[in-house]
Amino acid sequence: MRFRLSDRQVGVLFMLPLLLAVALFLVWPIVEAVRLSFVRYNPLRPDDQPFVGLDNYLFVLEDPLFWESFRQALVWTGVSTVAQAAIGVGLALLLHQPLRGINAFRGLLLFPYIVPTVVIALNWRWLFNAEIGIVNHLLLSAGIISERVAWLSTPDMAMASAILLNVWKYTPFVVIVVLARLQTIPTELYDAARVDGAGALRRFRDITLPQLAEVLAVVVVFRTIWTFNKFEEIYLLTRGGPGTSTYNLALYAFDQAMANLRMGVGAASGVIMLALLLAGSLLYIRLTGFGREDRAA
Amino acid sequence: MSRLAAALVYAVLGAVTFVVCFPLLWAISTSLKPKEEIFRWPPTLIPERVTLESYRELLFGGAVASAPGAGVPPSAFFVDWFVNSVIVSVGSTAISITVATLAAYSLTRFRFRGQRAVPYVAILGYMIPSVIFVFPMFLTMVALDLPDTLLSLILGYVCITLPFCLWLMWAFFRGVPIEIEEAALVDGATRLQVFRQIVLPMALPGIIAASIFSLIVSWNDYLFGRVFMNSMDKLPLTVGVMHFFDGTHVDWGLMMASSVLMTVPMAVLFGFMQRHLVAGFGAGAVKG
Repeated sequence: MRFRLSDRQVGVLFMLPLLLAVALFLVWPIVEAVRLSFVRYNPLRPDDQPFVGLDNYLFVLEDPLFWESFRQALVWTGVSTVAQAAIGVGLALLLHQPLRGINAFRGLLLFPYIVPTVVIALNWRWLFNAEIGIVNHLLLSAGIISERVAWLSTPDMAMASAILLNVWKYTPFVVIVVLARLQTIPTELYDAARVDGAGALRRFRDITLPQLAEVLAVVVVFRTIWTFNKFEEIYLLTRGGPGTSTYNLALYAFDQAMANLRMGVGAASGVIMLALLLAGSLLYIRLTGFGREDRAA
Repeated sequence: MSRLAAALVYAVLGAVTFVVCFPLLWAISTSLKPKEEIFRWPPTLIPERVTLESYRELLFGGAVASAPGAGVPPSAFFVDWFVNSVIVSVGSTAISITVATLAAYSLTRFRFRGQRAVPYVAILGYMIPSVIFVFPMFLTMVALDLPDTLLSLILGYVCITLPFCLWLMWAFFRGVPIEIEEAALVDGATRLQVFRQIVLPMALPGIIAASIFSLIVSWNDYLFGRVFMNSMDKLPLTVGVMHFFDGTHVDWGLMMASSVLMTVPMAVLFGFMQRHLVAGFGAGAVKG
């Protein structure tokens, strides 16, 4: 006789792998990270893990490098996010125009999103190479600069290069989301405004912007949270350097755990990042009413 | 729109497209130059002499036997790294997609307690940066005696791919009409038959979109590979190619050739599946 499952059993059975996976790959690492943040853990002596209370957190909060990383993370996040939002909205508006061949542009402009970060970092290091990089060459021959710029080895320029990389890679995210929203704005609104004699600027200010406000808020929150926590984009380009001038919290946590072998301190800074992230997520939920019944349907 | 305005739009879009494409065009140009031309100043925009030397070194360098004790150059491992990246990306995607598809179906077709928490868990999961997951996962792998294995990397990538696969499949199944299934159930089909023969084929576009995202994310990862893996021949591509910076002399030809070779699989996926990809973006399934 064939074994037959009731409807109810199928429902439960299908959920089991997820419950297991969430427990193993989401809950467990976070619980473990929190536990690690309260012990002293040197991976070379894994059996010796004394409980140290809040020592790791105190260490982090008293470490000038943590605060330097935090300040730099704010610059990195603020400039990147504003630039991405501004350029992204501008491009989305252009890509929304009913012009021939616009689909080809749409496709090409999404491209950076799929380029591996390592590839971009390698390309950036080559493009912005101080001695023989093409960027210096082009700027020199255009007369914009009079001598070679050491893009990746002066603090401000390294941060600027990293931000440029970030904007290059993630502006498509803003473009896609904004473009999708633009396409849902009823054209009648514009027709009515035109009849009433509103010019292009008026129409943008009074129709487009208010319609985009909600989605823009969401995009900015998302980009802020993700950019704040980025690791690879900076680490692969500058290793946090020159010196520590491009560290952010993710690099700080990585450095403590990997280079200094202070797993506990690394975990404590991770938990601090997590707390900041939760605050940001709550803000996101407040802004969008995400998950409420009327929207989930 | 007036012709002048249209011309302006094209001009701006053209300029932006140039900025978007230039780094990769420059990588291709560099990868095709002979070594001495790469280091010339002023740089030549288009190679004066085209050579596949750098590609040959990456793809067939492993076959060249090096003198014992001379040390194997990192480029000899390129093919190994490539294969590793394919294995771990496909492996973790298979796990994430299977788990996510089953759960998303169950979530949209059955009612049970705690159901409403799932989207929150998914969104939280994909907001959490890898740097928080990576060390606890690494220590777990050490405890399980798994570090430096491709399996550990596959499991690590599930951490970063599962939440948004779940999110996307969940969004997708909400849009798949339930009526056809109900009709089949009324006709006496079992739930499993319905799932295999009706639901899975209908869900295929969603599964494809989620798979592409998952492949892109795991192919791109650097952090997990950097922390989990040690042996040169077991690294994923992303970690491996950074070893090209190890020596005192940086071979930009090799670098740019590996850039190109790493991007090609993603570009193929991207071009092939662009429609699905855009659909997925629309559903909010973006990790970045």
